[in-house]
Amino acid sequence: MKLEELNIEIISFIEDKLEEEGIEDIEVTSESRLIGDGGVIDSLGIVELCLFLEDKASDMNFEFDWTSDSAMSNSRSIFASISTLSKNFLEQSSK
Amino acid sequence: MIIVTGASKGLGKSICDNLIKSGKKVIGLARDTSNLNFKSYDCDVSDFDRLKAISKELKKDNIKVEGLINAAGIAAMNLALTTPQSTTKRIIETNLLGTIYTTQAFLPLLIRNKKGSIINFSTIAVNLSLKGESIYVASKAGVEGFTKSFAREAADFNVTVNCIAPGPINTNLIKGISEKQLEKIIKQQIFTKMHTHNDVCDLVDLLLDEKSRRITGEILNVGGA
Repeated sequence: MKLEELNIEIISFIEDKLEEEGIEDIEVTSESRLIGDGGVIDSLGIVELCLFLEDKASDMNFEFDWTSDSAMSNSRSIFASISTLSKNFLEQSSK
Repeated sequence: MIIVTGASKGLGKSICDNLIKSGKKVIGLARDTSNLNFKSYDCDVSDFDRLKAISKELKKDNIKVEGLINAAGIAAMNLALTTPQSTTKRIIETNLLGTIYTTQAFLPLLIRNKKGSIINFSTIAVNLSLKGESIYVASKAGVEGFTKSFAREAADFNVTVNCIAPGPINTNLIKGISEKQLEKIIKQQIFTKMHTHNDVCDLVDLLLDEKSRRITGEILNVGGA
């Protein structure tokens, strides 16, 4: 799977979540922040996104770990943006 | 499925037996599960990696988890000054970190189930600030704080989080307390008597039931304090 494809899937997932909540004025791109100031989704959305990626990883025969120390570290969080999350997911898939 | 820690003895074992008797499916976690005749895993609740591995296995097997009962606990009735550092560490690791780690490891399974109930265990000793139990009380006060705060996080996922704080019950945990001391504790409760495992099991049943779906973030004293 390519980085761009995964970015699009995640963006689509987040857009669906925002639509469910009636939020339409947020533009979601691969550089959108996921956590902290300017994050496009709330903590509930982050967890749902992680469960979505867990299922995707399961289909790809690997385990996606989103609870490691680095996952939530402020300076190098995998949730810094959609593209950092995608990159980390693909890195874990190739291990 | 209901996951119960501390499943091999004491209150945890009684809770498992009661749930199974009422037709519920139980997964027991304990350091030694050789005496259990239902689905169980050997596990020390202070071992986060082991808890995560079990959680992954349950997810892989598509096990639906609707409840988590953190009943594993240890105590050492001793003055703080005379409690060895290793004992202090073990009490905090099992009672407080064990409750937090187990919750972190299994919450994703409850979220996937779209609803669930987490039941933690404290003690009446917290409310009564009992002398000679300060380290045990500190660990359980931490569990109570975690329960109240975490309930707000879990509510987003339709998961309730409550804490049962029983008065004296006949388990290994009160073995180190003298009869005189025990009598004194009993007299400080509203119901001035020892409680039974059934008193606690009935409350567990209620907290797992749909009828308690709006009860969360509560510390429920069995016996009253």
